[in-house]
Amino acid sequence: MRNNSLFIILQKMRIPFLVIIITYTIAIIGLVLIQGIDANGNPYKMSIFDAFYFISYTATTIGFGETPFTFTYPQRIWVTFSIYLTVLGWFYGIGSLVSLLQDKLFIQEMQKAKFLRQIKNLNEKFIIVLGYNQITKKIIIKALEQGLRSVVIERDKSRINDLILENFTPTVPALNSETYSVRVLEAAGINKKNCKAIVSLFEDDALNLKITLIAKSLNKNVKVAVKSTTKNHTENLKDLDAQIIVNPFSIISSEINMALIAPNLFKIEKWLYKLGNLNANLPLFPKGLYIICGYGRMGKKIFEKLNDNSNIEVKLIEINKNKDNEFTKNEISHLVFGDADDKELLVNIGIKDAVAIVAATNDDTTNLSILATAKKLNPEIMTIVRENDLADDLLFKNANIDHIFTPSKIVVNKVTNALVNPLSDIFLKQIIKKDNIWASELISKLVREIDENPLLLEFEIGEFFAPEICEYLANKEILFLSIFATSLYNHTQKNNIVPLLLQRENDIMLTPSWENEIKIGDKLLFACDAHAKNDLEYICQNNYEFYYALTGKEKLTIFKRN
Amino acid sequence: MNLDKVISGFFIILSMTLNFGFFYGDMHTIESHSKYELFAAIVVNLIATILKLGDKTQLGSVLLATSLVADIQLIAAATIWTVAIYSSGVDSTIVGMVVSLSGGALLANITSVVLYVGDTIKSKR
Repeated sequence: MRNNSLFIILQKMRIPFLVIIITYTIAIIGLVLIQGIDANGNPYKMSIFDAFYFISYTATTIGFGETPFTFTYPQRIWVTFSIYLTVLGWFYGIGSLVSLLQDKLFIQEMQKAKFLRQIKNLNEKFIIVLGYNQITKKIIIKALEQGLRSVVIERDKSRINDLILENFTPTVPALNSETYSVRVLEAAGINKKNCKAIVSLFEDDALNLKITLIAKSLNKNVKVAVKSTTKNHTENLKDLDAQIIVNPFSIISSEINMALIAPNLFKIEKWLYKLGNLNANLPLFPKGLYIICGYGRMGKKIFEKLNDNSNIEVKLIEINKNKDNEFTKNEISHLVFGDADDKELLVNIGIKDAVAIVAATNDDTTNLSILATAKKLNPEIMTIVRENDLADDLLFKNANIDHIFTPSKIVVNKVTNALVNPLSDIFLKQIIKKDNIWASELISKLVREIDENPLLLEFEIGEFFAPEICEYLANKEILFLSIFATSLYNHTQKNNIVPLLLQRENDIMLTPSWENEIKIGDKLLFACDAHAKNDLEYICQNNYEFYYALTGKEKLTIFKRN
Repeated sequence: MNLDKVISGFFIILSMTLNFGFFYGDMHTIESHSKYELFAAIVVNLIATILKLGDKTQLGSVLLATSLVADIQLIAAATIWTVAIYSSGVDSTIVGMVVSLSGGALLANITSVVLYVGDTIKSKR
């Protein structure tokens, strides 16, 4: 995609320019050929320059009068003719230029040129976001908070206007493009070194796959965050090395499963996603009969997870008998066809004895209505709902529902976490394998040593974040993890900080102890309070504070005693 | 036959021939160089330049560049001549200057014609 605007001007101005030159030439030749009379009555002929001068100010309608001498009648007849000729030619030229400036194609080219310039000058780390909507808007905001810039490609012109009105600072360059082709992605800077990731969260799985394919072939190092709602596509994406594959339904089902088996783990996950603090009530999912209304992509995932638990019985209700996918025998034995909003059906299926009901259809109104009916029939029942449209937020909050799962919010959390805080994403993946006791111990440790809502801090031991540590380690000295916990008020005391994860190349250590040695290139994740975070940054970056933390003495620089 | 090619070829070659017509003759006598021919050369050169505008190919840009060179040289020659008439008067040095400037323009025009003919020979249609 090269800059075409100049060429468009040049090409479209060919004829107007030609008209101006030809009309001028005709008028000038006439003036030069026709004989005039000078001030003394002698015959003379105008020089070419005189004629050019006269025509120039006549054609532009400035009109200085007859120079160098008063014209004769033959000259005047010719001038009358040339006025009509040249003035029309001149206005035609100007008119074409003005209409060109309002030309749609031209304006589009100008915007494209501006976009390319913005990308060229973008020197910070950035991500490419495809499509602008509620979800990607949140991702952009969260990325900006962490100092990660964004570039948007959007199909719909009005959405781009929404983005402009949003007034992001620093600005988010946006390109209007019908397709997401190779050239468009190149224009958005996917080949740049500082392009960190590309985010493609379309409903259309095939489109996501295509974009992953293009992105991976253009730049192997760029991370791809992509949404997938079916098993088949997830596998295809894995084959293409897409790093961040988000399936909101599988996340929801594993969250429900987590809440059943290890509620404390669920609590930690909510804290990592900044959705709740560590003192929040434990989400208690009772054991017994679960009714799932709507057996689509989400219902299927939940069923798979719940069915593995021995002391949980599951009943499924699906309204559409002729769904494309065929049901297995196991599914058929749990499945009832019918309208889940129908009281009789709910009673028949055993709503009075059920402990929980899940409304997982893709229609918000239906979901709310099912739960309202269920509550009437069994006031004790626990309600779980899928919220499809973020615009319905208020309705769901007022509906007195126990657990609301919003796929779009989950996508936002998952993607931003993986892009902006990669270590906490790794941490999350690791702890899912742990059990409830481990989680409750970790929670009580965090609450005891820090507070109920610790901050997360992740960094790499490198020149950028920790120059002092790097320099010290490069001299073949040894440092332990405990240096990061040192209080700068009194080096014998410790700050409120807990190490959560240490990544050394491909080795991952969960909750490493303070006695661990650190090396250049280690990636660390801490939970801490604001004060400890401040001290840690000082230790990593300030020569004097680092010396104090290391030795407990003030560093002397003026009266140095070696 | 392509009418576009006929028109642009006509003007490119005409600008060279006119330029040559003006340049040909004794270097320092004004009688052998017609001012009307210079005027015609300038006009035809300008038209040839405009016909080359907006061509995005590699050859098109080189052709445009040669044309711009010729324009600048010829307009400079005309300007010097005009200024001389109304101030110092036209002597043999001024004529020499004007003619040598048009000689430079002629070289640019020859380059342009050579490129143009070369492109035509290469073309398969």
